[in-house]
Amino acid sequence: MSKLTAPHFVRAASRRDFLANAGTGFGALALGSLLAGDGVAAAVKGRNAMAAKPPHYAAKAKSVIWLFMEGGPSHIDLFDPKPELKRLSGQPLPPSFGKVITAMGTSNNTLMPSQRTFKQYGRSGQWVSDWYPHIAQHMDDIAVLRSCQADGLNHVGSVCQMNTGSILAGRPSLGSWVQYGLGAANENLPAFVVLTDDKEVIGGPNNWSNGFLPATYQGTLFRNEGPPILDVLPPKTIGNDQQRGKLDLMASLNEHFGRDKQTDLDLESRIQSYELAYRMQSAAPEAVDLSKESDATKKLYGMDEEITEKFGRNCLLARRLVERGVRFIELYCSSGSGWDAHVDMEENHSKNCKISDKPIAGLLADLKARGLLNDTLVIWGGEFGRTPFNEKGKGRDHNPWGFTTWFAGGGVKPGQTVGSTDELGLRAVERPAHVHDIHATILHLMGLNHIDLTYLHNGRFERPTIVAGTVVKELLA
Amino acid sequence: MNFSKCSISLMGLGLAYAAFSAESGVKEIFTPVQLRHWSLQKVAKRAVPSIQMQEWVATPVDAFILSKLEARGLTPSKSGDRVTLLRRVSLDLTGLPPTPEEVDVFVSDQSPKAWEKLIDRLLASPHYGERWGRHWLDVARFAESQGFKADETRPDAWRYRDYVIDSFNTDKPYDRFIREQIAGDELWPNVAEARIATAFNRHYPDEYNARNLMQRRQEILNEVTNVVGSAFLGLTVECAQCHNHKFDPISHKDYYSLQAFFANTAADDRIVIAPPQQVQEHERKLALWEGKTREIREEISAILAPARKKIWDDFFDKYPPEVQEAITKPDSERTPYEAQLYHQAKLYLDPSKDDVVKSLRGPDKQRYQTFAKKLQEFASLHPGDLPHGSGMRDISAQAPVTHVLAGGTYLGRQEPVQPAFPSVLSAELPKIQPAANGSTTGRRTALANWLASPENPLTARVMVNRVWSHHFGQGLVASPNDFGVMGKRPSHPELLDWLTTEFVQNQWSVKKLHKLILMSNVYQQASTHREAAAKEDSTNRLLWRFPRNRLEAEAIRDSAIHVAGVLNSKVGGPSVFPVLPENMPSPRGGWSKNPTAEENYRRSVYIFVRRNTPYPLLKALDFPDTNMSCGRRDQTITSPQALTLLNDRAAIDWAQNFAGRVLGKAGLDPKLQVETAYLLAYSRKPDGWETDTVLTFLEKQRGIIQSRIAKGESIALPTNVPEKGEPARLAALVDFCHSLLNSNEFVYQE
Repeated sequence: MSKLTAPHFVRAASRRDFLANAGTGFGALALGSLLAGDGVAAAVKGRNAMAAKPPHYAAKAKSVIWLFMEGGPSHIDLFDPKPELKRLSGQPLPPSFGKVITAMGTSNNTLMPSQRTFKQYGRSGQWVSDWYPHIAQHMDDIAVLRSCQADGLNHVGSVCQMNTGSILAGRPSLGSWVQYGLGAANENLPAFVVLTDDKEVIGGPNNWSNGFLPATYQGTLFRNEGPPILDVLPPKTIGNDQQRGKLDLMASLNEHFGRDKQTDLDLESRIQSYELAYRMQSAAPEAVDLSKESDATKKLYGMDEEITEKFGRNCLLARRLVERGVRFIELYCSSGSGWDAHVDMEENHSKNCKISDKPIAGLLADLKARGLLNDTLVIWGGEFGRTPFNEKGKGRDHNPWGFTTWFAGGGVKPGQTVGSTDELGLRAVERPAHVHDIHATILHLMGLNHIDLTYLHNGRFERPTIVAGTVVKELLA
Repeated sequence: MNFSKCSISLMGLGLAYAAFSAESGVKEIFTPVQLRHWSLQKVAKRAVPSIQMQEWVATPVDAFILSKLEARGLTPSKSGDRVTLLRRVSLDLTGLPPTPEEVDVFVSDQSPKAWEKLIDRLLASPHYGERWGRHWLDVARFAESQGFKADETRPDAWRYRDYVIDSFNTDKPYDRFIREQIAGDELWPNVAEARIATAFNRHYPDEYNARNLMQRRQEILNEVTNVVGSAFLGLTVECAQCHNHKFDPISHKDYYSLQAFFANTAADDRIVIAPPQQVQEHERKLALWEGKTREIREEISAILAPARKKIWDDFFDKYPPEVQEAITKPDSERTPYEAQLYHQAKLYLDPSKDDVVKSLRGPDKQRYQTFAKKLQEFASLHPGDLPHGSGMRDISAQAPVTHVLAGGTYLGRQEPVQPAFPSVLSAELPKIQPAANGSTTGRRTALANWLASPENPLTARVMVNRVWSHHFGQGLVASPNDFGVMGKRPSHPELLDWLTTEFVQNQWSVKKLHKLILMSNVYQQASTHREAAAKEDSTNRLLWRFPRNRLEAEAIRDSAIHVAGVLNSKVGGPSVFPVLPENMPSPRGGWSKNPTAEENYRRSVYIFVRRNTPYPLLKALDFPDTNMSCGRRDQTITSPQALTLLNDRAAIDWAQNFAGRVLGKAGLDPKLQVETAYLLAYSRKPDGWETDTVLTFLEKQRGIIQSRIAKGESIALPTNVPEKGEPARLAALVDFCHSLLNSNEFVYQE
């Protein structure tokens, strides 16, 4: 909490504050959530909802960078080699695998082996295909979770679930829960930022929605051109001194109006919200201004090559946002379902891997070099993986039953592979990890217990993992 | 697979865990504490309490409030001043502040009936329905697009919005309002309005790209059941989707029995809105046109056939075998369940001609265009499309069997159930009469009649509480969509019951209910803080003063446009697409570009509601998520809100218009300008301190702007620039006007 706002946001001598201050950690949070929520929006009123709050227990990660390969990257062509597929190439899925309903009705199609070459890398000897040569150099910093599971068959439900836990829109996204639980480390910037590099994400703002949490906690989509946040700058017809003059007048008029209403802290909060807005007006453009970054840094992220320029730029932005205290940064790679290789795996993934390989490797190297990787959790994955059987001869269909997500940095035990899929890569078999488990693990690393982080909505204490989720302990350092 | 959304524990409420069996009756499953929960008991006739401070009581509402205040040794606040009261009730009933002329009329009206006359005038204004209809649209999770991936437009959804506005404006009895929305198609099949009303259950988010239609159907049914539970009963029935409700006495079986009323529903997107003669005339003309164009149309059909088949095959191939089977069976052999799947699939398998044409490429497209041109020659004979709307209906009189579903998924079929009311509320079996012509099951009529019955302990109470909640910013029950065990207890249960009884006795008239509340002294109290009272009741739950509340998004925007003098007061019609923030690309599903001034200045209730991307300015100010029913909006205070109202081009434009209006009224005299602006924005004159402060600001700002002009920078001028005006001074006036529209006094209702 900044010095300027601190004294104004504390509601004096109310029962709520007495209770909220009576404990820390879970106690304080649970009370906050008891008092907030549907119908009792009063609890949101008059308090700074974004003030930093203590975690449930010591956090390993201060920030998250989620590299979201939207459309569904093929685990069996990247991190989960399946020699058995080669042997069964051209044959149908063995009957022992049972019935499969897929998005495109492809389950009767023949099995298609990967055309990639896999090798083991680093001291940890983890497998990576030749599509990701740069990331392969960092395998000793990475924990690969091969046994992920989700519930959706199509993109919109699955991207939504990876963000919110549910395939149906309307629940808060994980970044919103994190903001609700921890507040902002730097109130001059949004605490939950979304970056895209191509088209609109499937499902759009539902994926960074606050859902039933107050609007304060929604994610902010940064624009790629012009000012990063809509309306963050006044139009050209209003100069900076002029804006300051208006804000000063508003503050005077508001204080005059509030002179006999000093107990109403909403009025004071609203005055402060304009000051914050004014600070954001300079802080946000500064955060995305890469002019002070060296050429060497830009090159590290692949910004010197056309194919890696866009995503590389977003990866560099992510590092800058982490440095400035942003808690949750989501980067969609080939946004708008670019990884959705129904027709031609080779063509699609060759391109998308090229787009993402060098920037991600650069990000990992840069974070490490600057000492940021220790408390920044980096996640790579998609909304699902892809099927071992072909679609239209050269493509692969959606596979939510078994796929790969990897983790690096903040509190992760690096250089290991956790879980496995069956011999064809269709289903998770060993240590299956549902989306809820992934969410529980991320929250855990950020110092939040997914069961204790609750919000009363329509008569239920809602939590990020709904009614499920266990922390994937194997991933923890 | 669909994960349930239930809560995690009983949080020490002392309720026993309900047995996880759908077999037993609610009496065996739930504890007496749950069964005796207050909101499930019949509405009781309540005597008006006797109180000390008789002179304060204008209506029985006052006596109920006063009785609780006196019990705590509190006194009510004195009446608010006349201008404050006028602003309060104008914003409350119409979402707009009064004009300076309206202020004069009310302040100078010394008759004892002045307040009542004012209320009557506002309730008769068409803006009343726009304001209060919007409250209901929150509950109905109204949106004009599908949501999910493509978020396609639902072109006729706005007709439901107009239906709601019109229902409030005409003071449609609430019991009729319910019947129309639940079963208008069954009860009044020949009344277009009643059929449009059924769109209440058509507002579910939908995904055209769904393959597993069994799952998709179940998700829609769950959504509809849950919204009906929240909206009309104030119950969180969704908690019983996977197992018995953990808090309220609603069993797993109750949930699916309630859902069974909707088992045979489907979207009905071709409701013709025209009198029979017009329909006949239309048919006659159409037949004529068809006769003259038969050959051309046959050619076109032949050209489109392969494209049509391709679309069909494309969808068909991707469906699972159960759906494929339902599609290929002859009509007569389909089970009711298969008919449901087929009906849903058909929308996509067999798209409209326009959609098929869009998929044409190359020579086919050229050939099509040739014939389309020929067809165009007969256009003058074509009678055009009859106006139509969208709603819900049953697809036949034969409903598929509803099962209790384990885990809430379509795969978890357990025992079959019949339509039935939640058993804790009614032991009676619904009387269901299928339509004689086989068109509909008649199930929803039974449900509608039960919901709209005066005997139902929840329906009227829930509505009375919604109305109270919007008048005071907080309901007597603070959780308007949850009257269950986990909801809030009523602060004044006797008052709630008394108002409910009056409401039902007054033929469910919402306007009479408003008046009953607004005529009270409780409503007319000042909002001033009183330290001693606050010590006793810090949250003002007992209403010892009128609560101050921030206006909702729509009221802020509409008030600003109104004060700027440019509000377009047209009522109803298709939605508009006002200007988006600078640099914002059109959202998926589309947003019309370059709106006319007329569209930019319509009231906010007419702004297109794109489910995935609500209008950003409203969204920033807590416009609800339309993926679910909203009983009460948040009132957050955030810096993005400030950025929006400060920097959005729409907000700057309001300020420019406002300044132009001030100039038109006050000319170039700065003092008069300040006074005029205050009267328009705040309904009052500035005090001496304010005048001095603003005049000083105008001078200083003028200097700043002058130096910007000297540097060749552009400035924002009032829309109406008088000849002799000095640009820097005029731009400073815009800044002052903009500041007023951003100020606390403007966005808070006192």
